[in-house]
Amino acid sequence: MKLTTKQGMQSEIFVPVTPKPVFTELKKPLNKCKVAFITAGGIHKKDQTPFNTSGDFSYRTIPFDTPSDQLMVTHGGFDNSDINKDVNAMFPIDRLHELVKEGFIGSLPAETYTFMGGGGNVEKFLNETGPEIAKKLKAQDVDIVLCTGGCGTCHRSATIVTRCCEEAGMSCCVIAALPPIARQQGAPRITAPHVPIGSNAGEPHNIPQQTAIIKESLEWVRDCPSFNATKILPYEYRHNV
Amino acid sequence: MSITQETLQKHLKDPAILCCRRDKGTVISAADLEDPGLFDDMQEAGLLTLSPDGLRIEQVIGRTLLQDTEALTSITKDVLDSVNKTEDDNASAPAESKAEISEVAVSAAPVFSSSAARTGGDGMIHIEIGKAEKFEGLKLDVPVISGGAAPAAQAVQTSQALEEKHGEKKVIRRLLKKHIKITDVKLGSKTSIKDGVITIDKSIVNKAVKEDELCKSLELEVIYPDKRHIYTETIMDVCPIATKVEGEIGEGITKVADGVVFMLTGVDEDGVQVHEFGSSEGYLDEKMYFGHPGCADKDDIIIRCHAVIKRLSGMTRPGPFAAHKCQDYIIQAVRDQLKEYNGEVVREEVCEDVRRSGNPRVVLVKEIMGQGAMHDNVLCPTEPCGILGGQKNVDCGNVPIMLTPNQVRDGSIHALTCIGPATKEMTRHYIREPLVEGLAADTELDLIGVVFVGSPQVNDEKLWVSERLGSMLESLDLDGIIITTEGFGNNHIDFIQHIGQAGKRGIPVVGVSFCAYQGQLVVGNEYAKAMVEENMDAGGFENDIAGCSCVTVEVAARAIQMLKNVMSGVEIKPAEKKWSNDVINTNNKLLGLPETKLVESGTLH
Repeated sequence: MKLTTKQGMQSEIFVPVTPKPVFTELKKPLNKCKVAFITAGGIHKKDQTPFNTSGDFSYRTIPFDTPSDQLMVTHGGFDNSDINKDVNAMFPIDRLHELVKEGFIGSLPAETYTFMGGGGNVEKFLNETGPEIAKKLKAQDVDIVLCTGGCGTCHRSATIVTRCCEEAGMSCCVIAALPPIARQQGAPRITAPHVPIGSNAGEPHNIPQQTAIIKESLEWVRDCPSFNATKILPYEYRHNV
Repeated sequence: MSITQETLQKHLKDPAILCCRRDKGTVISAADLEDPGLFDDMQEAGLLTLSPDGLRIEQVIGRTLLQDTEALTSITKDVLDSVNKTEDDNASAPAESKAEISEVAVSAAPVFSSSAARTGGDGMIHIEIGKAEKFEGLKLDVPVISGGAAPAAQAVQTSQALEEKHGEKKVIRRLLKKHIKITDVKLGSKTSIKDGVITIDKSIVNKAVKEDELCKSLELEVIYPDKRHIYTETIMDVCPIATKVEGEIGEGITKVADGVVFMLTGVDEDGVQVHEFGSSEGYLDEKMYFGHPGCADKDDIIIRCHAVIKRLSGMTRPGPFAAHKCQDYIIQAVRDQLKEYNGEVVREEVCEDVRRSGNPRVVLVKEIMGQGAMHDNVLCPTEPCGILGGQKNVDCGNVPIMLTPNQVRDGSIHALTCIGPATKEMTRHYIREPLVEGLAADTELDLIGVVFVGSPQVNDEKLWVSERLGSMLESLDLDGIIITTEGFGNNHIDFIQHIGQAGKRGIPVVGVSFCAYQGQLVVGNEYAKAMVEENMDAGGFENDIAGCSCVTVEVAARAIQMLKNVMSGVEIKPAEKKWSNDVINTNNKLLGLPETKLVESGTLH
């Protein structure tokens, strides 16, 4: 038996390679740094227009003095129940204020920007949303940008915007639940706690874990030796769906 | 960025480019060179222009720079003390074949080592390759090597096996699917089937809703083929009415109602679509790709079962499941009537699980959603396409589970996955999956089985599940694998891992997925070289038309042909960098398939 073959067929799907390196070395101690936190996880203020969950490249402006109970999630790419319990699981705003008080970091910018990266339009994030967010953060003299993303394409969008921030001269780290995507898409630095998508920044209401994930991600921004390096964080949380 | 020794070895024949400025007197090593894997992107970004006089890496390693030399420029002979002599690209034929022969010898040894005892005596294995590409009449005596080695000689082994055996067909079990003609559906006072007319007791919804407390209300409606311009909430599933009348799933006799399907739709108590992420509410005639495997056909009567589930339970696991479970209570009442009904048989379909010994052993791997919420599947229920008696793949840990082709064709999968409806496979898809049907019918192949593997939510678990799949694939002694996935994004991590599991074991593999524009692969590896695209959206987006971009007869035909090519060593040209429907249509044309016509959905996220 011989197999029937056909000459001339072509593979129909491009398999990517990681894009060119971007890397801004951190030149200040952490306690002198202004730290921003962005997320592709669909977080917004309750009084803002929700994201279009089937794909949306717009972003929301979140003043850093927004109380965490005024925030909510609109994202359909993963189980939202953790964020519904505690928005800090994706966007750890309360922990960041505590880190400023503690003196671990210098300050927070007046405002930050959030978006919904699920199904995200690559060109729009690369050429519009990403550069705009980067410009606005840079204008507030931000030194460090941390970022989370929810679902798979969220991690792609999160990484695209993070790369824009790095290119604009800030030192950035993606806190990834799906590190292979962050790595393949060319995130400058990656930390990877063992968490499900939807709780990248740690278990809901588990303050010590959330704090540790942010602190170690900040330390990785300081210590990461080169582009695209990943640090696995020793924190594990299983979400029983 | 310098490169490692390993990268250097891989790229000896690639252009030598300095990664940073280097001073006169530098002895060139891996630490001084840029990674050739980045050249394409660098050229695209205008950072790099390759000189035609540039030397290859193998020509410059260990040589000394005679002058200061800039980064990202080709190294040419005028800046070096001398150039390494290497075998030219047009090296004499003997030298090349010598290298390949030694590769075959080493890797072939373990494959044939079991015969050493029979032939033995001198501690050598005698290998004779009668006819194989480049090695006609080659004879080798190879010392017996103990210990593991890569199973890279499978191609050689296969081509021998192919000539020895003839793919004799042995039937393991038969399944008869009787398609029973249904001409009308009515809502009445008693559930029955008579003279081709299904009547469903209107009040059954009151009992059905009690099946799960998360389900708050149910509503039934009959939609005729010519009255589909009707508003519908998001489509959660299309489910055939099929029932066992003899034997277990996969054997015996199954009756399938012809000309009618159930369609489940759902919102929560606040009116939020159960699939708020890429939902398909709207006019039904615009929101389903009629005729695709998972969908209603052109002339089907649709029984719409609309569920309202508890507030905020749409994005959790139990909520959507409640809707499916309650609908199944109603379908079961119809199944019970169908068992007893002896109406007109439109079509008898004989499905066989067969072994075709001697033909290439192939499996189909279907990656299914297993992230929780509504991303789940019920496996192997008692009734075709049912719920009861089945296990959810999330609860099974998403581990690979092997089914026979007949079990799949007899409704072993009840899908709870129709979010992002264009790229998900609904329950009806599996009972008539074109790849299962195509592979099972192909007399050149031996379809060993169909593996279902879930896609977990956590990255570690994805990799863990993929490792388990890899071991399973290895143990099956396969010659070829087709791997499909539904959706895009995080599931592509597992998908690519699975391809890698096959690839690193030297098993030819073809990947099938929706990617196009919106679903561009977020990860990749070197084994994903033969890939088939499912997209049918003009913009390359996951649109909101249920069943639009998934495995069709044409997709299946291209995938099977690609697999045969890869197994036979016939080249598959590398993909273009960006998705293009022209590539797909060129393949269609080569295979005599109809053109893939894209739908203008206007989706622009």
